[in-house]
Amino acid sequence: MAARERDDAGGQDVLRRAGDASVLILTSLADGPKHGYALIQDIKGFAGLQLGPGTLYGALDRLERMGLIEALPAEDRRQPYRITAAGAVALRAYLDSIERVSSVGRLRLGLGGI
Amino acid sequence: MPGARSMRLVESALRCYPQRWRSRHGDEAAEIASLLIRDGTPPHSVAWSYLIGAARTRLVIEPRRRLGAAVGALLLAVCSLGVPLALLSSSAPANAASVAHSRTAHPRPGQPRPAHTRHGRPRPDGLRYGGARGAPDRCDQHDHC
Repeated sequence: MAARERDDAGGQDVLRRAGDASVLILTSLADGPKHGYALIQDIKGFAGLQLGPGTLYGALDRLERMGLIEALPAEDRRQPYRITAAGAVALRAYLDSIERVSSVGRLRLGLGGI
Repeated sequence: MPGARSMRLVESALRCYPQRWRSRHGDEAAEIASLLIRDGTPPHSVAWSYLIGAARTRLVIEPRRRLGAAVGALLLAVCSLGVPLALLSSSAPANAASVAHSRTAHPRPGQPRPAHTRHGRPRPDGLRYGGARGAPDRCDQHDHC
């Protein structure tokens, strides 16, 4: 029973992380600098969900404080951001971890590995 | 362009952010709101997102401010605890005196009555309350008492 609860909690944690705006932003910035509106549009394109602007700015501030992204000189009223080396390393590590989880999950569901 | 009413709603939400945040992101945030509303996002949804974001921004305090807030809270706690304690300690002798006075002025039943009149003068011998005469509790020197 306890083991099952632990597994459920782990699964929720993975889902929570996968839905984290920070991961989506880092993924969007992985192919080049973007400003806020471009980030929202890009994430909507590849993830199918629209980040609220308040959520976006909260995540941008958090990522900037953590040194995972950095602000570039503003262009007119728009503030572009780019991923830092530390951000790229963090994103790669995260993607590796969810890839392992994804492979195991697919195997166990009989869907075959990636 | 979105209506003036929609933008007023968004601007009201943006005013909830700290001044420092607004000076950095305010213009761009208003522009993003305008573009999202133009794309079909409901204005109240944009405003709500900014409102929640503002609440989170205000809750996440920078480390230096957090230390300052902790010191402030500690000082406040010490002061709020210290003032009542100081009042208690300063009023303790007065309380003790008033208790002693009330006990002498209004003795409990069964306690011996003081050997002085209600006017603070010592009673002459033989003129104590409830003496051998069994007289009622009254002053023997003045008729008005």
